Amino acid sequence: MTAPHKILVIGAGNPDRADDGIGAMVARRLGQLLPADVAVLTRSGDMLSLIDDWAAFDAVFCIDAAAPIGAPGRVHRIDLTAGALPREIALTSSHAFGLAEAIELAQALGLALPRIIVYAVEGRCFDAGAAMAPEVAATAGAIADRIIAEIATLRQEAGEVASHA
Amino acid sequence: MATKTIRVDYLARIEGEGALDLEVSDGRVTSAQLRIFEPPRFFEAFLRGRSYLETPDIVARICGICPIAYQMSAVHAIENAFGASVGGQLRALRRLIYCGEWIESHALHVVMLHAPDFLGYPDGIRMARDHGDAVRNGLALKKAGNELIRVLGGREIHPVNVKPGGFHRVSHPRELLPVAEILKRASELARDLVRWVATFPFPDFTSNYEFVALRHPDEYPFNEGRLVSNRGIDVDIRDYDGEFEERHVAHSTALHSVVKRRGAYLVGPLARYALNFDRLPPPIQALAGEAGLGPVCRNPFQSIIVRALEIVYACEEALRLIAGYEPPDAASVPLTPRTSTGFGCTEAPRGICWHRYDFEADGTIRTARIVPPTSQNQPSIEADLAAVATAFLDQPDETIRDRCEQSIRNYDPCISCSAHFLKLSVHRT
Repeated sequence: MTAPHKILVIGAGNPDRADDGIGAMVARRLGQLLPADVAVLTRSGDMLSLIDDWAAFDAVFCIDAAAPIGAPGRVHRIDLTAGALPREIALTSSHAFGLAEAIELAQALGLALPRIIVYAVEGRCFDAGAAMAPEVAATAGAIADRIIAEIATLRQEAGEVASHA
Repeated sequence: MATKTIRVDYLARIEGEGALDLEVSDGRVTSAQLRIFEPPRFFEAFLRGRSYLETPDIVARICGICPIAYQMSAVHAIENAFGASVGGQLRALRRLIYCGEWIESHALHVVMLHAPDFLGYPDGIRMARDHGDAVRNGLALKKAGNELIRVLGGREIHPVNVKPGGFHRVSHPRELLPVAEILKRASELARDLVRWVATFPFPDFTSNYEFVALRHPDEYPFNEGRLVSNRGIDVDIRDYDGEFEERHVAHSTALHSVVKRRGAYLVGPLARYALNFDRLPPPIQALAGEAGLGPVCRNPFQSIIVRALEIVYACEEALRLIAGYEPPDAASVPLTPRTSTGFGCTEAPRGICWHRYDFEADGTIRTARIVPPTSQNQPSIEADLAAVATAFLDQPDETIRDRCEQSIRNYDPCISCSAHFLKLSVHRT
């Protein structure tokens, strides 16, 4: 696989819907911490445009809330290089096409990136106007740190590939 | 006596949260209720006490798919109340941004939400594996509409550039030139889309709807016109309450609208098309004929063709408006608030979106009323469901369920933007 040079980070979800705001929260944090050549976006509502958003990139990190399957605040890292989203992880969406559907559609159309990594955070409450659960909000820092480290590793791999070219 | 229940726990191709209950007794559908149970969203209450200046940004939040419709109806109502008129290029820009909304909303529904019904796929993603080019073209159309809204509205979703009296900022012609190039390609894609959906197998089903839409002296309607129907309604939009009324029903948190003297009516593409066919440019009329449609279409399943035709129209109209565009001297006309009442009614992708506001002398909103298209269509949806279910009663419950879901999607309902579950129960006794 080609080592990625152009990297995009997407925080998905509605910041006004309690735990659904975790993606935007992490993205805001990363926007201040990542190098300027790493693009950081937030997206809510219809996610189909993500397929266009990532068209010019080599790798994308997505952060989104997921429906609870036992432990609000639990973080799942899913590397889609190897396949589809696991069935038990249901990314939340208030619209017909959320992040999961956008990724699946891109895969069906051959428009998925070679490297898509999703950080899914199990939420508890998605009510409009409600506050984010503390255990969900508490994951933001650790997720940001992990993504920063992953991007550094990817960049290192890219540098090594370039130096061997 | 046996009771049979079919339950569909997840329907991902409508916007909103609802359920459907069918009661079947002695081989007859005795009741078909579209239950909308999501909580009221209180936008009309939010607007009370706010300045008229805040209205476009507040009402844009009602819908992520059709925010322009809410913004346009609101600003027209405000200008109507304050005795102002927006003409010339500002009027043209409003029409132009509305073209963007029709293109993106219709493209999403036609290709990703509705087409899978006719081709036997559970969703657009599964359909994409076999009809990749059609889906790619649909996404390109949606992107073209979104781009138009982004350029004129400041962003694709919940645009921020619309204000009472016009816009906060108007585009320079050079900003619109790249959009025109996109739209030229989109217009071709839309024509192909019409030809593609016209090949779908359509159930032999028609209904004798009362169509209601705006009608303008010269134009296929977006922002202006009289409220007309095929059964004699022809009134100014301020007289909406004289002809129509909203009613509470126990099974829905959304009000039902009916013609006072008759009952259910239909708004949206089929109604616009039937009442304004003569306002379509001849090439689009010819394309409709090529697709097998006459000047009136009463088969709700064929609404997918009419939506595709309206995408073609919106692309062509947008190109015409861009070609004639010259930046206006001012981005908006000045408004002077006064104690007043104003009315606005525009054609959202799903049908007429009617607003009424009462203002204090300083422009503070005293009361607001908003009648969205889907609430107006609810009684017609239920009538269609009963008729469709009756036609398929001898079929397995699975078939009835599929046809009923498809019937709901004929309307492209935008129940709300908060969830997407449909539970269907068929009770046979």
